[in-house]
Amino acid sequence: MIAAFFREIVAALAAIWADKGARSTMLGATLFFSVFFPQPYLAEVVRDMPVAMIDQDGSTLSRELIRRIDASDAVAVTRYAPDMPAARDMFLKREVYGIVVVPPHFERDLLAGRSAPIAAFSDGGYFLLNSVMSSALTNAARSLGAEVQIGRLTATGVDASAAMAVVEPLIVTIVPLFNPTGGYASFVLPAVFVLILQQTLLMGIGNLKAGRRPDGALATFADAIVYVGLYALWAGVVLVLLPWAYNLPRIGDVAVMYAVTLPFLAAVTAMGFAVARLIPTKEGVIFFLVVLGMPLFFLSGVSWPAEAMPAPLHALALAIPSTTAVPALVRVNQMGADLRSVEGAIFTQLALCLAYSLLAVLAGRLRRLAPDARFGSHSV
Amino acid sequence: MARRRHLKAGFRRALLAEVWQIGRRPGLMFMLAPFPLLLFAILAAVFHLGLPRDLPIAVVDQDRTTLSRQIVRMVDATPEVAVAAKATTLGEGRRLLVDGKVYAVVLIPPRTERDVLSGRRPEVVLFYNNQYMTPGSMVARSVGGALGTVAAGISIEARVARGADVESATQAVAPIPVRQSALFNPSLEYVEFLLAAVMPTVLQIFIGASAALSFARDRQGVAGLGRSLNLGGTLFKTVAGKLAPYTLAYIIVLWGADALLFGLMGARFNGSLAFHATYGLLFVLASQMLGAAAALIARDTVSALAAVGVITGPAFGFTGITFPRLSMNDFSAIWADLLPVTHYLQLRTDNVLRAAPLSISMPAFAWLAGLALAYGSVALLLLWRHGRAKPEAA
Repeated sequence: MIAAFFREIVAALAAIWADKGARSTMLGATLFFSVFFPQPYLAEVVRDMPVAMIDQDGSTLSRELIRRIDASDAVAVTRYAPDMPAARDMFLKREVYGIVVVPPHFERDLLAGRSAPIAAFSDGGYFLLNSVMSSALTNAARSLGAEVQIGRLTATGVDASAAMAVVEPLIVTIVPLFNPTGGYASFVLPAVFVLILQQTLLMGIGNLKAGRRPDGALATFADAIVYVGLYALWAGVVLVLLPWAYNLPRIGDVAVMYAVTLPFLAAVTAMGFAVARLIPTKEGVIFFLVVLGMPLFFLSGVSWPAEAMPAPLHALALAIPSTTAVPALVRVNQMGADLRSVEGAIFTQLALCLAYSLLAVLAGRLRRLAPDARFGSHSV
Repeated sequence: MARRRHLKAGFRRALLAEVWQIGRRPGLMFMLAPFPLLLFAILAAVFHLGLPRDLPIAVVDQDRTTLSRQIVRMVDATPEVAVAAKATTLGEGRRLLVDGKVYAVVLIPPRTERDVLSGRRPEVVLFYNNQYMTPGSMVARSVGGALGTVAAGISIEARVARGADVESATQAVAPIPVRQSALFNPSLEYVEFLLAAVMPTVLQIFIGASAALSFARDRQGVAGLGRSLNLGGTLFKTVAGKLAPYTLAYIIVLWGADALLFGLMGARFNGSLAFHATYGLLFVLASQMLGAAAALIARDTVSALAAVGVITGPAFGFTGITFPRLSMNDFSAIWADLLPVTHYLQLRTDNVLRAAPLSISMPAFAWLAGLALAYGSVALLLLWRHGRAKPEAA
C-alpha cells in the first residue's frame, strides 16, 4: 500500500515534468508572473507629479506657498500658466496632472487675517494622483497659514506657546499602519501573489486533468499531495522570498502563514480537480481562469472594501478560495495576525476543500456514466 | 455542407466556415457574448454601491469627558465611517485592526479635555490600516477631517475668548483653505471611472483569446492552415473572414456594456459618439490581431492561449488607471504602449470624460492604429509562411 502510494507520488511528479503545459504553468508561470506583474508598481509612490501653477498674486507669500508645494516629494511645480485656458491645455496634453490657482490679493488677505483660499483642479478619476496632490497642497497651506497666524498673534504681544495653543489647541496626529509609506506595490502585491498561486495551480491541474478520464482514488490523492507540496514550496518563494527581494513590509509568522496556506492550497487543488472534470477541454479551463483573474482580485476585498459590495455577491464569492485566503494571508504576513485571528479563514478553506472534493467525485462519476464524451481529444 | 461546397473561395466562405465551427462549440459561443456580459455584471455589482459608506472604525476613549464624547460623535457623523467598536485599551483597538474588523482606531488619551482647557495642546491620534490602502485612505481623510473640525471649533472659541468676533475667528482658523474641484470627472464618479476601465481590460483578454483559438485550432487541425487559406482564397480574405464573426460579437459586447454604463447606470458621456465608435472598433481589431499573431507564433493551442493570457491578463496594472504611468519604470512604460487597451482607455478618457479636441487624441489614435497594423502584418506574414510551408501537414 505504502509502496503503491509512493509509486503514485513519483508518477504525479513525473506527469508534471512530462506535460509541457503543466510544466510551464506550475513551474514557469508562477515565477514569471511574480517578476512580471510587479513591474508597474516598483516605484511604490508617486514622486514629482507635474503640476501647473497660476500665480495671480505674484507676491512674496504666494511664491513662498509655491515653494513649499514644490518642496514636497510627491508634487513638482513644472509649469507656470498665465490663465486657466492655457493650464487646461497643458492638462489635456498630459504635460501636467494638476492645476493650482493662487488668486489675486492672496498675500493681502492672509496678512489681514482674512481667509485666503487657493484652488486646485485635477481629474477625479485618478484616485492616487488626487490624494497625492491633495495632501501636498494641504500640508503646504497648513504650515504657511499657521506660521502667518502665529506671527500675527505674537505681534500683538501674546507669547509663543500661548499663540500655539490658540492656533492648534488639539494636535491631530495621523499614523498609517502596516504600510507606512503608502507604497502601491506594498499594497497590491501581497494580495496579487496569493492570487497568482491560486490561478497557476488551477491552470496546472487543468492542463494535466481536463478532458482525461478520472484516475483512481489512490492516484488522485497522490496527485493532490504532490500539488499541495509543490505549491507549499512556491508559497515560500512568493510570500516570503519575493517580498524580501522587493523590500515589501512583511512582519508575519511563517508558521501561521503555512497554517493558512496549506488548507488554502488543499481547497484550490480540490477546486482544480472539480473544474477540470466539469470543463471538458484544457483550452476551456485555461481561458476560464485567465479571464477570471481580475474579477477575483476585486472580489477579495483588498483593493475594494467588502463592506462596499452587495452582500449576496460577496457571499457568493466565498465559494472561491482566494476570497478569504487573500485577506487572511495579507493580515498574517503584512499585519502580523496570529493563528486565532485567522481561524475563520482556515475553517472556510477546509470546508471548501471538502465541498470541492465532493463535487470532483460527483463530476468524475458523471464522466464515467457518459462514455460518449470526447475524452483525450486534446491530449498532447 | 452541400451548399458550402458550391461557394467560391473568398471572404464569405471563410466566414461561413468559421461560423459553422463556432456553432459546433457551445463553450466558444458562451465566451463570445454571455460570459463577458456576465463578468461585466459581476464587476458592475462589485462597484454598484458606489463609494464605501459606514466603514467600521474603533475609538479608544480614555478621557470620557464632554469633549471626548463630542469627538466621537463628530467622527461617527461623517458618512464614510461608523464607530463600530469602543475599545478600552489601545491593544484592544490594535487587535480589532489586525483582525480586519475595523479600518482605523482613534485614540483620545486621558486628560485631553483638561489639557485643552489649560492650553497644553494634547494629542489625539488616528491609526489607520494603510495595508488596505483604498478604504484606509478614505477613512483617514474623513476621520482626519472630522478631528480637524473639532480642533478648529476649539480654536475659534479660544479666539473669541481673547476678544475676537466670531466671523474673523472663523476665518482665522483656516487661513489658507484649499478648494479642490475636479476639472473633469468629479470625484464621486471614481467608481464609474474604474468600472469603465476594468471592462475593456477584461474584454481585451476575450478578444485576444478568441482570435488565438481560431487560428491555433486551424493550425492544429488535420488539414492545417492550408485549408483555411483555400477557403478564403487570399491571405487577407482568410483573416478577415475568420475574424469577422468575433469582431461583430465583441463590438456588440463593447458597445452593449457602454450602453448599460451610459444608459442604465447614467454615466456621463461628454464627447463625440462617432469617434467613440471608431476607436472602439479599432481597439477590437488591434486586440484580435494581437491574438492572431500570438497564435501563429506559439506552437500549439495551449501555448497560444497561455501567451495571450500572459500578455493581456496583467494588463490592467500597466494602463495607469490605478498607479499612474508617470511613475512607472521604462520596461512598464514600453510594455504599456504595446497593449491596445492602454491607448483605448486614454482615448476613452480624453473623449468621453474630458471632451478633448480630436488633435489631443491623435497620438493615442495613431498608436492604436499602428498596433493593429503591426500585429496584423505579423499575423499575415506568419499565415503566409505556415500556409505555404506545409499546406497539408498537421
